[in-house]
Amino acid sequence: MSSKSIAVIRLSGELEIGRRSEIAQTLVVNGSEAGVLLDFSEVSYADSTSLAELLRFRDEAAKLNVPVVIVIGSKQFARLIQYAGLSHAFRIFDNRAEALTDLSGAAHE
Amino acid sequence: MMGYSELRINRIARPEAARPMRHAVAAFLAASGRVDDSRNDDILTAVGEALANVVEHAYEGTDHNEIELFARLEKNDTLAVDVFDRGTFIERSPRPNRGFGMKIVKAIAHDVSVNVEDGTHVRMIFTLLSAK
Repeated sequence: MSSKSIAVIRLSGELEIGRRSEIAQTLVVNGSEAGVLLDFSEVSYADSTSLAELLRFRDEAAKLNVPVVIVIGSKQFARLIQYAGLSHAFRIFDNRAEALTDLSGAAHE
Repeated sequence: MMGYSELRINRIARPEAARPMRHAVAAFLAASGRVDDSRNDDILTAVGEALANVVEHAYEGTDHNEIELFARLEKNDTLAVDVFDRGTFIERSPRPNRGFGMKIVKAIAHDVSVNVEDGTHVRMIFTLLSAK
């Protein structure tokens, strides 16, 4: 039986270029996680520098076979992903319960 | 009576400059009362991308210089936003997971033009959904 657990990473406020270093330092995965839930439910704004960090994180997690789900509360953030053509690049949910259910399933696959 | 109003801001193009400049545009749009919430978010997203582009690329390898934003509400329910820098425009080959900024701007703005003579000038024209 795996002793790994699901990690939750939370960021809030405005995810923009002025916070890029902070965002990069927060979005870290090391393979000890059964899955990662990125909780952005309190993010009010995001820009494409944040998308670049998200894609980098997604790719690093994939290399370690760690599933990732994202909770997004802001319509602006959701549309940013759509405009960037990345709607299918992430597993996105609008509430934490659904995201955790999905992640639990993925972590046991 | 003037049929439009204007906003002009200058800052040094550092990463911390983009947020207050975008907030100033948000206040400008809110004061106009002519943009609904959804369109407001989209316009601020595009403006944020144009500003981030300057901050990230315009002055690479050189001393940071100015970024200038000029926004003007037109009579015909459009918003023109110009973003200027005095840096050197560099045509880049595509990099993985990067280069979404202008794609996002073009998805949102009604019209986008880029002039790279003597710095870079990005002009974005937005249609407004009137709140009134």
